[in-house]
Amino acid sequence: MPVNLALGHVSNDFLIAALVIYSLSVVAFAGDFAFGRPRRAVASEPQVRERASTLAGVGAAGAAVAGPAAGAPAAADGGPADGPAAAPAAAAVPDSMPAVAAPPLRAVAQAGRWVQAAMALSAVAVVAHTAAVVTRGLAVHRAPWGNMYEFVTALTCVAAIFFLFVMVRYRAWALGVFVMGAVVVALGLAETLIYTAAGQLVPALQSYWLDIHVTAMTLATGIFFVAAVLGVVYLVADRYSRRVAAGRAEPGNGIMRRLPGLEQIDRLTYRTIMFGFPVWTFGVIAGAIWADQAWGRYWGWDPVETWAFITWVLYAAFLHARATAGWRGRRAHYIQLLGFASLMFNILVVQVFIAGLHSYAGVS
Amino acid sequence: MTDVRAPEADPFESAAEQDDREDRSRDRAAGTLGFADWLKWGWRQLTSMRIALVLLFLLALGSVPGSMLPQEGTDAAGVQQYYTSHPALAPLLNHLGLFNVFAAPWFAAIYLLLFTSLVGCVVPRTFRLAGSARALPPRAPRHLTRLPRSAEYTTVLAPALAAEVAATVLAGHGFRLRRPADASGGAWVSAEKGYLREVGNLLFHLALLGVLVSVALGGLFGYKADRLLVQGTTFADTQSALDEFYPGRLVTAADLGPFTITLNRFDASYITSGAQRGQPASFDAQISYAAYPGGPVRTDQLEVNRPLSVDGAKVYLIGHGYAPVFKVTDARGQVVYDQATPFISGSSGNFLSQGVVKVLDAQPEQLGFTGVFVPTAVEAGGVLESVFPAADNPVVSLIAYAGNLGLNSGVTQSVYQMDTAGMRRLTADPQLLLPGQSLKLPGGQGTITFTGYVPWVSLAITHDPGQLPALICGIAALGGLLLSFMVRRRRVFVRARASGPGTTVQIGGLARTDASGGFEAEFASLAAELRSAHHQAAASRQHEGE
Repeated sequence: MPVNLALGHVSNDFLIAALVIYSLSVVAFAGDFAFGRPRRAVASEPQVRERASTLAGVGAAGAAVAGPAAGAPAAADGGPADGPAAAPAAAAVPDSMPAVAAPPLRAVAQAGRWVQAAMALSAVAVVAHTAAVVTRGLAVHRAPWGNMYEFVTALTCVAAIFFLFVMVRYRAWALGVFVMGAVVVALGLAETLIYTAAGQLVPALQSYWLDIHVTAMTLATGIFFVAAVLGVVYLVADRYSRRVAAGRAEPGNGIMRRLPGLEQIDRLTYRTIMFGFPVWTFGVIAGAIWADQAWGRYWGWDPVETWAFITWVLYAAFLHARATAGWRGRRAHYIQLLGFASLMFNILVVQVFIAGLHSYAGVS
Repeated sequence: MTDVRAPEADPFESAAEQDDREDRSRDRAAGTLGFADWLKWGWRQLTSMRIALVLLFLLALGSVPGSMLPQEGTDAAGVQQYYTSHPALAPLLNHLGLFNVFAAPWFAAIYLLLFTSLVGCVVPRTFRLAGSARALPPRAPRHLTRLPRSAEYTTVLAPALAAEVAATVLAGHGFRLRRPADASGGAWVSAEKGYLREVGNLLFHLALLGVLVSVALGGLFGYKADRLLVQGTTFADTQSALDEFYPGRLVTAADLGPFTITLNRFDASYITSGAQRGQPASFDAQISYAAYPGGPVRTDQLEVNRPLSVDGAKVYLIGHGYAPVFKVTDARGQVVYDQATPFISGSSGNFLSQGVVKVLDAQPEQLGFTGVFVPTAVEAGGVLESVFPAADNPVVSLIAYAGNLGLNSGVTQSVYQMDTAGMRRLTADPQLLLPGQSLKLPGGQGTITFTGYVPWVSLAITHDPGQLPALICGIAALGGLLLSFMVRRRRVFVRARASGPGTTVQIGGLARTDASGGFEAEFASLAAELRSAHHQAAASRQHEGE
């Protein structure tokens, strides 16, 4: 079926619109940092180190059963701490995120105008972005991730949708500026450097396994993308808290104060990767089945296969590192960032510059 | 806050495999060590999580050269090229096995150590799991409000009855229960759930082991072969008829399926306009095949992504090209050559293909031709170029030779190359021929006619008995992974104490793992359910009493 060029243009327009609105949402997230109402009780500003070990987890603070019996002390949450900053968190330190009692959307409403605006803009941008991906798919009559440009467009869409959910569910809008900022950068680079007009696929890609394998890989990459941004935020926050502990930095840095505690970022990252890892595993298995159908072997150490394997091994190492003394926290995050680096290397270098069976990038 | 509990503080002794691994790596024996102690120490090191992590890193790192350097298994020509361009470095790399990384002993050492470490960890855990599957949950702690999750309320039910009601509710949710043996310890219920988590974790690791075994199975009993097949010809799957044959370690020529395949017709279509002009749109090979010579003939359509299954093997369409047909008469006027000759397209694109014609029976001298086939020829600056992959304007360009082809010397020659050492060049310039045109050789040596062209396809024939086991193991690994990520191992305790006129019910809960979170919600709903069950039981009791 011929490519619907008009619809292809509509898709491009949607994408440009999404890019602009994402940028505005990043401005609004940053505006919250600069001008937003502080969410932390400034009076008893706790040591950052203590905050790091606040165990009020993602969406879990005050989890004692609500209702008449809620008299159970909230301090019961102060269990043994994990990670490098294991200072005792005896007192129930005010959580940087609003109390859980309010349902997520109401929590957004209570978070101030800047956050409301940023979240609304993010939501609109995600809708425009999704529309861009869908119209591209309709224009080319196939899953719209058949070349590098389409792949980046789709994976950033997954990352944005996923993170929008995370922001609402876990009240993590303090991280919005970083994740949405990264989405803007990735999308902008895709638009300027590797734009590919809507077109047909070579016979090797004309298989329903494109829908299965590449969809899984796109989903997993989008999820790992979010985890990588969270990992960078974790490392920065961790460095800051160690500098504060060593007396080399002033506690109470304006941006740091607004970030969730180290423990929360860490757990959010961990859950994100726990979501992405099975999807990646499934994608690799689906790819092996497709490779068997197309090339006559399910695994042949083609460069792209090799790097998918390396990525898998590194994320598996992250999952194991988190359960190993001495490797939790910072080191584990270095491992997952290495995993994401290998993933990016696979997409941006191996698929484009190293000859192999997976040379479909369509980038010239 | 349960979910972030560090493993050290984990009350789930039976599932605390990580701590165990760490402890074992820590307890370094001091003082004098016997050989057995050293062995034991070595084994503990190997099965420690730290070493497993290091091995995982090495596995990732060791794979890198396999993607950056050409590999013998997938790109033998690339290896040759590397030898030419890096004559000093290449032998060294070869010595290190870097041109065949995934079959190199050092790579095997990494993954075998990793899998040994895995077995050393997984097997004891399997026994422990089997043990804990029979064991009962621990007794309820005295003060449940100290647990990560807790709730408290009062009821008018007697403590024993309240515990009874709680047990019924928890059993209804599939918890394994433990009740006090006698009344001296008070009224309580211990409940535990989520053993599938550890099952899933073990399944995942064992399935990975299964994948390795499946790959080995394919390496021993499988084979891979290539065959170029010109349209209108037939071949039988025997070793002599195959162009390339890569048997597994335990495969002999007798294991080959004796099926036959004929290529009736091959069509390729290309995008004809726009930015993607020249990109292939579809390939389609019409074949007929028989499972054994003389067997019933069936027809099928072979496409990319659509292999043929025949006689335990699979046949794949992996490439195609053009075979120009030449008719050669020698000096005597006899037709000594009349056949399609496959030409191979290089990297120049648009199927500009090269090949040779070797006429062994020509008299008085053997004749040879090196040629280029151009499917859609355009002359640009005196050079022939192909501007489109389909044969829209086919042209061949030939250089003729006469002399000795050197085929009797005993050295095998490629059919795509000609040794011109014993030959004399007959035409100074390459001679262009359109279909139907002939070239008269100088000195009455004969004539060559370009009568037309037919397509050829290259087929890959594979047999891999490890394929299905690998798939099953892969799916099992994924299932195990999902189980271990999604199932929470958790305990809920209920204690009922008489206090004043009524009974105080305390509920406590904890979950191991910070996996999927959500235990707080589960605990809240369980607590609410227990509360309403107690409330109802009290109401009906009151009702009966009236």
